Amino acid sequence: MATNTEHIPDSTRHPMRVTWDVWSAMYLREMIARTMADRMAWFWMIFEPIATIAVMIFIRAYIRGGQNITGAEFIPWMIVGLMGFYLFREAMTRPMGAVESNRGLFTYRQILPIDPVLIRCFVEGVIRSFIFLLFIVIGSLLKINMMPDHAFGVMMDWLSLWMLGVGLGVLLSVASGLVPEVGRVVKIITLPLLLISGVIFPVTYVPAQYQQYLLWNPIVHGIESMRLSFFDSYHSIPGIDMTYLWMWALSTLTLGLVMHVRFASRLKAM
Amino acid sequence: MIEIQNLYKRYHGPHGGGWVLKDVNLVIPDGVSVGVVGRNGAGKSTLLRLIGGMDTPDRGRVIRKGRVSWPIGLAGGFKGAMTGRQNVKFVARVHGIKKNLSKLIQEVEDFAEIGKAFDDPVTTYSSGMRARLAFGLSLAFDFDIYISDEATAVGDRAFKAKAREAFQQRVDHASLIMVSHGEGTLKQMCQAGIFIDEGTARWFDRIEDAIEAYHRATGLITDVADEDDEEETPVEQLDASSVKAQLRSLRQEINELQKQHIISQYRLETTTDEDEVAILQEQTELLHRKHRLARKRFSELKQHEQASARR
Repeated sequence: MATNTEHIPDSTRHPMRVTWDVWSAMYLREMIARTMADRMAWFWMIFEPIATIAVMIFIRAYIRGGQNITGAEFIPWMIVGLMGFYLFREAMTRPMGAVESNRGLFTYRQILPIDPVLIRCFVEGVIRSFIFLLFIVIGSLLKINMMPDHAFGVMMDWLSLWMLGVGLGVLLSVASGLVPEVGRVVKIITLPLLLISGVIFPVTYVPAQYQQYLLWNPIVHGIESMRLSFFDSYHSIPGIDMTYLWMWALSTLTLGLVMHVRFASRLKAM
Repeated sequence: MIEIQNLYKRYHGPHGGGWVLKDVNLVIPDGVSVGVVGRNGAGKSTLLRLIGGMDTPDRGRVIRKGRVSWPIGLAGGFKGAMTGRQNVKFVARVHGIKKNLSKLIQEVEDFAEIGKAFDDPVTTYSSGMRARLAFGLSLAFDFDIYISDEATAVGDRAFKAKAREAFQQRVDHASLIMVSHGEGTLKQMCQAGIFIDEGTARWFDRIEDAIEAYHRATGLITDVADEDDEEETPVEQLDASSVKAQLRSLRQEINELQKQHIISQYRLETTTDEDEVAILQEQTELLHRKHRLARKRFSELKQHEQASARR
């Protein structure tokens, strides 16, 4: 037993190398957990957004009525908005439990609390992007016009929304680790966020004098910008500015990373 | 080599917290296995966590030269939904193993001896199976310094024997820092000792000295010794009939004591609870002592009987 043991490559792996090893291992672990964890996990991963979007569209189409979106078809317009919002929401809320649920892993000193957080953000982005692509393919097969007019613009906006979610997710993962109530509050406000982000109801419906307050919300900028890239003839409210969104994304991400450095040992110990 | 400089540690809780460790300065040289002793809550496990890098000190620092393991046999990092194999793979990847991954997995599988369950989710495991897997996993890596927190006390008897053997093979070319209440184990595995008391740690070059200092601090030796001072009448003053009666009762007592001794030894080997181990150890020691005394008295009486019969 003692002779044929595994030599750990070298005792002083470069810190970057350690980080990379940890990330690749955690990525595989997280992916397995998300897709294989329980029976049909992969099926629900795909079917759940389809179902929720179908319900949303149903509600909007038959109960509320009024589906006139200037310059875009109603169903693709809804799908784009909901997918963008879910990407943001999942990237923001998923990391909150990451530290807690991976506490056992801190036995291995190579793993820091930031690692599961970043990996979850990444995994969430990959899964959501895959589902979005699936929607585009299936939509196109069903003759729903799901092909973006400016594919590159859509990709950039998609990335921006993701980064906004990641920034807030990293920040909230520390905050909820230190103050557990934060997690509850965030879960409560996600539904109102859906309503005020112009996902279900067009922002153009909002009276002009209130639109400036709506623009305080960075998610509106991301979603409207993505719709503008998606539908060439779409008209939104004036003042959509991706710089504003990136300011939010980068400042929350920076603050979150700084807090992770500052409170690493506290997050580990709790 | 592990160097600990001016180490302070306390835990912040809702009720505040005193220092668990105060100004600890130690140098653990290469190739020396160290046993850590001290009463419950003295900070033994905390010191071990700090050495292993799982916790950060409030003040001071720990300098690690060489590869230090995680606490041997710790099963905390397993994900329940994943199979044993997947969990092993994960840990190997974290430690940067790519080329010999399959070999390492094979080794863990062989050592753990849990058969087909290796490919079942860890949630379906019993605690013993979990411990086997965790133990096999820690031993499959080649560390310079192994850390162990009561690790030899897992699994059934056969596995324990195997684990101890593997452990001892390791100690030949790696060193060990272990926390244990099993003094026999400590004496067997370690050369040097650290005794932790009231936040301070003292180094002893010999483990026996550390254990003795621990005993002296808790007053264990005097307690046990007191009970042995029984008044016995000298053999010469007894007549033949009372010698016979005493011999008979002593024989019964010896049998009874031997039985109890064996039972408590067995319980000591199978139990994992820290408190229970300490109690059982004391009990076993006491029984052993009584048994010896009874035997001594018995042979004394027997000799006297034979001598008087010859006369």
